[in-house]
Parts: sequence; C-alpha cells; structure tokens
Amino acid sequence: MIRRSLIVLLFAAIAVAGTAAAQSTGGVLRAGMQADPVGLDPHITGATATRNMLENVYDTLVMFDSSLQIVPGLAESWEASDDGRTWTFTLRENAMFHDGSPVTAGDVAFSISRIKDPDVASPRGDDFAVVDSIDVPDDRTVVLNLAEPFSPLLSKLAHSLNVIVPEAVVREHGDLQEVVVGSGPFRFVEYLPQTRMVLERFDDHWATDADGNALPYLDGITFQFYPDPTSRTTAVQTGAVDWIEYVPAADVDVLDADPEVEVVGGLSANFRSVYLNVARAPFDDPHVRRAFSYAIDEQAVVDLALFGTGGVPATGTTIPASNHYGVRDSPYVGRDLEAARAEMAASSVPDGFEFDLYVTTTYDFLRTPAEVVQANLAEIGVTANIVAEDWSIYLPKALEGDFDATILGESGQSDPDDFLFNVFYTDNGGNLGNYSNPEVDVLLERGRQVSDPEERREIYLEAQRLILEDAAHVFLFHSSQYEAIRGEVRGFEHFPNTSYLGLRTTWLDR
Amino acid sequence: MLIFLGRRVLLAVPTLLGVAAIVFLLMRAVPGDVVTNLVGLEGNVSVERMAELRRMFGLDLPVHEQFGQWLAAAVQGDLGSSLRTGRPVATDLALRFPVTLQLTLSALTIALAIAVPLGVVAALHRGRWPDGLASLIALLGLSVPGFFLGILLILAFSLELRWLPPAGYVAFSEDPVENLRHMVLPALSLGLVLAAATTRIVRSSLLETLHRDYVRTARAKGVREGTVTVRHALRTALIPVVTVVGLQFGQLLGGAVIIEQVFSLPGVGRFALEGINLRDYPVVQGAVLLIAVAFVAVNLLVDVAYALIDPRVRYG
Repeated sequence: MIRRSLIVLLFAAIAVAGTAAAQSTGGVLRAGMQADPVGLDPHITGATATRNMLENVYDTLVMFDSSLQIVPGLAESWEASDDGRTWTFTLRENAMFHDGSPVTAGDVAFSISRIKDPDVASPRGDDFAVVDSIDVPDDRTVVLNLAEPFSPLLSKLAHSLNVIVPEAVVREHGDLQEVVVGSGPFRFVEYLPQTRMVLERFDDHWATDADGNALPYLDGITFQFYPDPTSRTTAVQTGAVDWIEYVPAADVDVLDADPEVEVVGGLSANFRSVYLNVARAPFDDPHVRRAFSYAIDEQAVVDLALFGTGGVPATGTTIPASNHYGVRDSPYVGRDLEAARAEMAASSVPDGFEFDLYVTTTYDFLRTPAEVVQANLAEIGVTANIVAEDWSIYLPKALEGDFDATILGESGQSDPDDFLFNVFYTDNGGNLGNYSNPEVDVLLERGRQVSDPEERREIYLEAQRLILEDAAHVFLFHSSQYEAIRGEVRGFEHFPNTSYLGLRTTWLDR
Repeated sequence: MLIFLGRRVLLAVPTLLGVAAIVFLLMRAVPGDVVTNLVGLEGNVSVERMAELRRMFGLDLPVHEQFGQWLAAAVQGDLGSSLRTGRPVATDLALRFPVTLQLTLSALTIALAIAVPLGVVAALHRGRWPDGLASLIALLGLSVPGFFLGILLILAFSLELRWLPPAGYVAFSEDPVENLRHMVLPALSLGLVLAAATTRIVRSSLLETLHRDYVRTARAKGVREGTVTVRHALRTALIPVVTVVGLQFGQLLGGAVIIEQVFSLPGVGRFALEGINLRDYPVVQGAVLLIAVAFVAVNLLVDVAYALIDPRVRYG
C-alpha cells in the first residue's frame, strides 16, 4: 500500500513539474543550441557557437540589420573623409558596460587594437590590417586612420565577434574567458559546459524600439545544448525549449507540419562550390571548366543531396542572389548538355578523362552533392572518382591545394569583398584552386577602395562576369539555415548571416 | 585486509600508467590535430598560422617529451587545459563525473531490480512458462542497442505522452524532481540492456547452486524452500553476478557515451567524445584517466564485496 501511494506521489510530482509557470511579460527564452561555445573570449575564437551566444552580450560599433544593411551600434554616427582614409565615429552618450562603467572611445581603440594584436592571435586579425593608427580626441570620438581606402571596413566592424570590450576588465584579468563583461542587451550570468548558458536582461542597455520602449523585451535567455539533431527537434516539439537553431534539413517539413511550431529562415550568407585546381591539367583548360559548369545541375544538387530544403541553387557566383552585388543570370544556371559537350569537344580532352573528386565525410552538405556531380559528369564522358576523408585529414590537404577538384565553401556577411577577395584574388589564402586573372585582381582591389554602392556594384558585376567566363568554380548552392520557434515566441527575426541579433526584439507571449 | 588493499592500490599504478601512455600514443596516431579542427569549416587561415598555433600548444615537440610534460603535471593533480576552450580539464571533469556516476548507478539499480527477481523466478520454474518468458525478455533486451531503445523511449514518453523531457540535464542540488525526470529515460535505456544480460547470469548461477550438496542438505534438514533459495542458494549464486556487474559498471562509466549524446547529458563520456572528435588531447587524456581510475576502484570494491557476500572468502 505504501509502495503504491509512493508511485502515485511520484507521478503527481512529475505532472506538476511538467507544467510551466505562467508568465505575462518578457519571459525567459529557452533556446536549444547545437554546440557549446569554443571559449568565451569573442576576440580569440572564430567559432559561430561562441558568436551566436555572446553577440547579444556584447555590442559592435556598427551593426547589421536583418536585411544586412549597416545601422548604428555603439557608434551613433560616423563619416569617412573624401580620400576614404580617415573614418570618424561618434559614440552614444548612454552606452554602458555591465559593470556600470561607460563605453568610451578608449575601449573602442583598445578593442580594435586587441583584435589586430598578433599575440592575441585573433582569427580576424586581418580584418583591420589596413588600420594604421587610432586616435581618441575625446571620450566619445574614435578616428581610424587607414593606410589606404577600405570600403569593407564597416562590414568588418559589424562582425559580431569584432565586439567592443572593456579595457579595464581585460587588463585586470588578462582575457575574457572567465569574466564576461559586455555592453549588450543581456548580461552573462553563468555557463555550465554541455548543460547551459544563462543570460539575464541588462536594464541599462541603450537600445529602444520605434515606440521608445527599452530593449530587449526578454527577461533572459537560457541556452541549452542538444548536439544530437533529433533531440533538438524533439525538444522544441515537446516544449522543452522555445526556440532551436540549425533545424536539420530533413526535419524542416516535419516541424513545419507541427501546428505548435514555426520554422523561420532560408538563404544564408555563404557559398558552396566545386573548386577546380587550375594548376592541374586538364583543369587549366577553361573549356573543361565551362563544360563542368554547363553539365552540373544545381537544382538537382539541392533537391537530391540536400532534401530540397538544405540550400538554394546558385544563380551567379559566390555572392547570393539576394545580395545587392549578386549575379542572378549566370549562363550556367540549369543544365545545358549540348553546350557542355561542345565545350568538351573544343577542349584538350575531347574524349573525356578521369579525376578524383576530393570531399570530406564530416559535413553532409559538402559530401552528398558529390554523387550528383559524379552522375552529371558521367553524361559528358568524364569519370569523377569520389575520395572522401575525415575533416581533420581533408582540411590540411585542401588548404595546401593538394586535390584535382573539391567541394568546399566559405561564409560571408554582406560585403561583396567577403565573398570574392579571399577566394579569387591571386595567391590568397582561400584561393585553393590557384585561380589567377590579373583583370579580376585589379577589379577586386578597386572594389575595396570605392565606397559608392552603385560604382562598387559595377566593379563587382564586372569581376564576377570574368570569373564566370573563366568558370573558376562550379557554383553549386548557398546553404540555408533555419530556426524553429514555438507559437509563444514573438518578434523573432531571422538574420541571413548566421546571427541571432533577432533575439534583441523577441518576447514570449504566455 | 589492509595489506590486500595496499597491494591492490600499488598494482593499479602501472595499470593507470599503461592506459595513459597508450591513449597518448593512440590519440597522436590518429590523423589530424586540434589545430585543423579549430580552424573549422570557414577556415581563412594560412598554413603559417596553423604552424604557429601548433607551436603554441607544444604540438611540435617529440611525442615522448609531450608525454613527459603531461605526466609530470598529472602526478601533481594538474590535468592541463583544453586546447579549444582554455578551461582546466580537472574542473570540467569534476563537473561531469557526478552526472555519469548518477546515470551509471541509476542504470545499475534498474538492472538489478529487474534482473535478480526475474532470474530467480526463471531458475525456480526452469523449463516452464515463467522461464521461457524471462528468456524472451532477456533476449529482447540483449538484441536492442541502448541508443535505439533510448530513441524509442523518447518517442513514447516525450513526444507522444509528454510525461518526461526528451533530453537535457538539471543538477540534483538545483532541483531534485527535475533532475530525476531528466534521468529516467537515459537510465532506463542503459539499465534495461544491462538487466537482460544480468538476468541470464542470475538464472544460470542460481540453477547451478540449487544442485549443490549443501542446498540438498538444507532441504533434507527441513528448511523451508523460500529460505533455502534466498539464504542458502542465492547468496552464493550472487558471486558471479557481482563479478559481472562490477565489470559492467566499469564499462558503463566509459560506455555511456552514446546515451549521453542521445540525451544531451553533460557526462564524462560526451566530454571525452567531443575531445576525441576535435583531437583535444588533454581532454581525452584526463577523461580516460578518470574512467580508468573509476574502473580500478570499482573492481577493488567488487573484491571487497566478495568477502561480505561469501563468508568463505578471506583476504590476508
């Protein structure tokens, strides 16, 4: 008898604990994340996980909005000199760090210098390589003096790991791995590895909405970690969390069909393509590269290899079509077997050839397209042998350019320079296929120096026309990214650059 | 007894050293290192910078020197820091060990609570339907992998019935009820599989002892059948069970990896797995050393338990 009532008691306890407490305002968002942060110091890491959890704890000088336009951040205004080499930023009067100290021009100068500092070894040290010196005429004015005009500067400053940190705190503690002090809308409370990270509303944050209400709306955010994609999907379906990141492509339709859950997202700022190694025959022959571009069906790659939801077919080069600088009418869109065969006939290998298509097994979206590519190429008499290896073996080889062809990509933010300079400029780090076209180099350099958007657009469209003519890559698709939210979550906006700044305007309606 | 314990502890030292050395070598024999994994997918990082990072982590030193440095620090209780996050490994292990320990102990409790009664019933009704039923349950349990059972349990109790959370962890000190709610499904996934194996051992071991002479003698003296089974036969029959359960417990400590992953539990296994995937050497070293220490300690306890269960066993 006693045993039975114990069991009843246990079930009652389970039932009570399962009912969430009712809330009327703000609310604490429970967010299901894919991975733990890789260290907490934003300047030292390049990890998206760290960025996504801390970008609302810190602020940047300028920010992206959800359409990837630059808007004021800690700087309320800025201007560039006519020669484009002197940038003056004016800080907000009411910006404060979580320890109560004001955000000063000195902190801004310290932060940019810290990212540049070779001893800090920030993966984004090169972002500000062009910054020669920084002047701080008063507490609210920062002047960046550039060695040469550099129009992507605002885009680099808006990167949400290039945040402004308090100089005094870093000097006291050496780094920001243990002590987390920012000026963002949420205060860091605690981090328990593989369990949770807790953020709490910072009441003195400078931002307000259009009606003058203080931001953020949420009382707090609790990030919980679900590395297994099925657990993450189940967690949002059962209401164990209110919001999840990285909905697996295979689950997008499942969650969309759930009346309690909404899937938001889509195109993200990145590209995936087949890199052809121009230093190796027959890929030195533009006819072969063009034949590949005509023969491969981007839509089939997305439909067959990515469940139709995992990506958006490329319509131009590395820049997504939605971007102001994107190309929307590449001649290679869709399949043109006739054109592909004509290019093959005119090439150095009219009877076809065999090559190794080198891919990684670690990321599905970089491996599964290989099979579609292989099948497409078979129809123009080319045999692709797929060689697949673990990321840690694959990457060093790929970085050294030790491949015939490989499937890889990079992420950008919104500036065209993010997508083109590293990948196509002669001898650059991301130019793994050894592509080189002096005309393209000149255009990419000029694009960095011109600031007028229309003039820049002309330059970048011309550069991309040349890149397409050379068929430097076979441009496949842009990965999509989805978040899933429960019905009670309001005001969340998806950002197409892997950023969760949308949480600043989110609230829970319970 | 004390001499026995002292000797066993001393014997554990070469075992642990061997484990540490083998793991050290194995991890370095696996291609790739932490630097390539730090660079990640969007690596705009030059070969020179990667070489610089390797120097920073001391990965350019000869393997024996690296091992020497690690060992010298480890004997002083310093397990180093994660190469990725910079967090001290010992601190992170201290956070995670209680999770794995709770999971393992819960699984073990569930396993024994099922296996002992089921095994006894099967042995007492040998060849009749309760025995067949017990065999069937055991066979089912042995055939289903724990992680698959875990997914089925999530589907049934989380997604359909909404009784229990699908994954995640809350510390017992924070909220005991939530802690237990989060622990039920993973402990069941791990425990049911173990229960199946243990049932069969309980059954066969008990069958064997039931045919021993001293049991016959007890019966002949007119001791009641229930007393014979529990007091005389079962006590002896449990010795092989304790041996196997002890070994299983050690394996569970290290083998809960997949269950911890499926249920997003922040245990030692998941920590080690993350370390292995990213070639975070100090993390793997620390986690494996901890599991090895636990394994040795549990086996020592098992030996002590023999003496408690079976009065014939004495250590001198």
